[in-house]
Amino acid sequence: MHEEHPPTAAEHATPGTVPARPDQAAFEFRSLLDAAVDAIIVIDHRGRIEQFSLSAERTFGYAAAEVIGRNVDVLMPAPYRAEHDTYMERYQQTGEARIIGTGREVQARRKDGSVFPCELAVGKVQGVVPPRFIGFIRDITLRRLADERLRRSESALQLAQELANLGNYVVHLDRSEPDYCSPQLCRILGIGAAEAALPLTELLERWVHPGDRTEFDEACRELDSPGHVFDCEYRIVLEDGTTRHLHHIAQVTRDAQGTPLKHSGTIHDVTDRRATEDEAQQLQERLTHFSRLSTMGEMAAGLAHEINQPLAAIATYAQACQRFLRAPDRDDADVLEALEQINAQALRAGEVIRRLRNFVKNREVKREPVDCNRLLEDLRTLAETDARLHNIRLRIDAEPSLPMVYADPIQLQQVVLNLVRNAIDAMSEAPETRREVLLSTHWLPEGHIEIIVADHGSGLAPGAAEHLFNPFFTTKSSGTGLGLAISHSIVRAHGGRLWHTPNEGTGARFHFTLPASPASKQGSSSE
Amino acid sequence: MIKEIKPTVFVVDDDAAVRDSLRMLLKSVGLPVEVFESGQEFLDADRDDRPGCLVLDIRMPGMSGLELQVKLNERHSILPVIFITGHGDVPMAVEAMQAGAVDFIQKPFRDQDLLDRINQALEKDAGSRRMLAERNMIRKRLESLTPREKEVLDLVVAGKANKVIAGDLNLSQRTVEIHRARVMEKMEAHSLAHLVRMVLEVERVEE
Repeated sequence: MHEEHPPTAAEHATPGTVPARPDQAAFEFRSLLDAAVDAIIVIDHRGRIEQFSLSAERTFGYAAAEVIGRNVDVLMPAPYRAEHDTYMERYQQTGEARIIGTGREVQARRKDGSVFPCELAVGKVQGVVPPRFIGFIRDITLRRLADERLRRSESALQLAQELANLGNYVVHLDRSEPDYCSPQLCRILGIGAAEAALPLTELLERWVHPGDRTEFDEACRELDSPGHVFDCEYRIVLEDGTTRHLHHIAQVTRDAQGTPLKHSGTIHDVTDRRATEDEAQQLQERLTHFSRLSTMGEMAAGLAHEINQPLAAIATYAQACQRFLRAPDRDDADVLEALEQINAQALRAGEVIRRLRNFVKNREVKREPVDCNRLLEDLRTLAETDARLHNIRLRIDAEPSLPMVYADPIQLQQVVLNLVRNAIDAMSEAPETRREVLLSTHWLPEGHIEIIVADHGSGLAPGAAEHLFNPFFTTKSSGTGLGLAISHSIVRAHGGRLWHTPNEGTGARFHFTLPASPASKQGSSSE
Repeated sequence: MIKEIKPTVFVVDDDAAVRDSLRMLLKSVGLPVEVFESGQEFLDADRDDRPGCLVLDIRMPGMSGLELQVKLNERHSILPVIFITGHGDVPMAVEAMQAGAVDFIQKPFRDQDLLDRINQALEKDAGSRRMLAERNMIRKRLESLTPREKEVLDLVVAGKANKVIAGDLNLSQRTVEIHRARVMEKMEAHSLAHLVRMVLEVERVEE
């Protein structure tokens, strides 16, 4: 700090004049003023402007002649203007300077009235009486703008990270700079700045959910090989026991020799999205199950008939047995044959019930290798139930040696059964010779299995085709209208496609494809 | 003369087990039985003019039991039909009865119920066949008459006396008597009443 003295009365001189100096010194001083980049203004002890440099003219828009002799407050906007006189007075009386010898940021005012930020440094001219002050003013508008932009973009980035629940980090492997962990990433991981100083990768390593460990380790190994990216979704268990789903993408930057320099990445907290997805999937599964139940409800009459058939046969065989046994010239071969049949028919009734239970059971969706031809055979009992009730034949034309598909067998049966039942409904008015539903399987060259359900019914009304897969769209008087919509989403979830074409002659063909499971060529049933 | 063929129970059911159990039941009571798995198979076998009865499942893929019944009616089959129905098939059973079925039975059934119905159907068939045979016989006798004898017969059946017939046909009464005796002989009539009954029997059907 400079030592300041309040000015004495003797120091007061005539205002607006420069004390006599040798011309040479004055000239040199003037040149110095004009060469400076910063605006330089010299004022006397009452605040009147004595010197106004060339750059001051440029900065403030005043010509020196316009301001020389005027109070310096003309260069200040309110409230600095009013305050300046107070500062001056205080300094005069107490010698207390708030600004001299230091610099600070203030607002200044140009001739046109515009206000700009500037950095002001004030010095006292030594050895003159009355004292004079010299001010150095640097226009910092541009610097301020740049600062402001930087600040804004930083806060925008932070906001974006907050909104996206995404954080980023940089680990400097060469220790050239401290590691960085964005505030949002700290929040996601529930850590303070102190812990953020720990190597982040070690933290994650420690927190990875055991169930995702294998995938995480595998992704880490990816990162070790140059040119590869770490991209992994995994769960972590935080110190407080909460689980978070993270989507983590990272890469390592290397120098020309391949030495790792830094490891940078983004971590996206997808916990909420996962929860929503899980919920949506559960809802979809419940709906799918509900649809199966309601299908079975609609098929109740047919199913009763289907179970009644073996029961009727059993009763008749048993009665025949009794008569054979009572006959005087009985033939045991007949009795044995009837008993064998009774056994077979009881098993048949049990099988119908078993298939029915399997179909309606509320179970976890489970994908496994499925042979489509076998699946159609398994479904035949249920599908024929409805067909028989409407005097319709069901024919299966299976392409031999199909590869397996990876699917949930019950859901696939649900799709086929739904298509078969639609086909049956479409044929209720058809003449006897045309009443047949043809189920066929095909092996498509591009690696898909196609299943076609063809009928000879009334075909699709032109207006119906476009709404066909919408939920609650139905052309029937009974039914939920969910069948096709659910079938559509089941097929799509299995990576396939469901569509329809007109059948040759009359009726409709519904096709769906499923990708053949790799490594299962010739996997068809060979029993 | 009509050949004597033993009446047979024809079973048409698409369900192999139901079909086979019926075959066994009928075999156990000594009834000749033939089974078919579809209506078409039965039609192709040309059994519909044989004596017996038909036990028919009302619901079958392809040609239903009702449709087979309609086809048999078109072929003027007189085979009595017993329908086997499942639960809730009453409306279809009603339709079947209106189309001439003798009976229907809901499965599962008591064997005796079915056998009773089969026996009734076989009796009905035998009765119909006897009547048909008789009509055929009368027709054959009628066909053996000369045109003149036919004229005399018509007037006799109309209740006219020989004298009146002679006048109508411009014949002598003696000639009418000879014709009339020939008619009685050819028609194998025991009496005038018998002759009239035979002629009416045929005419009633042909109206």
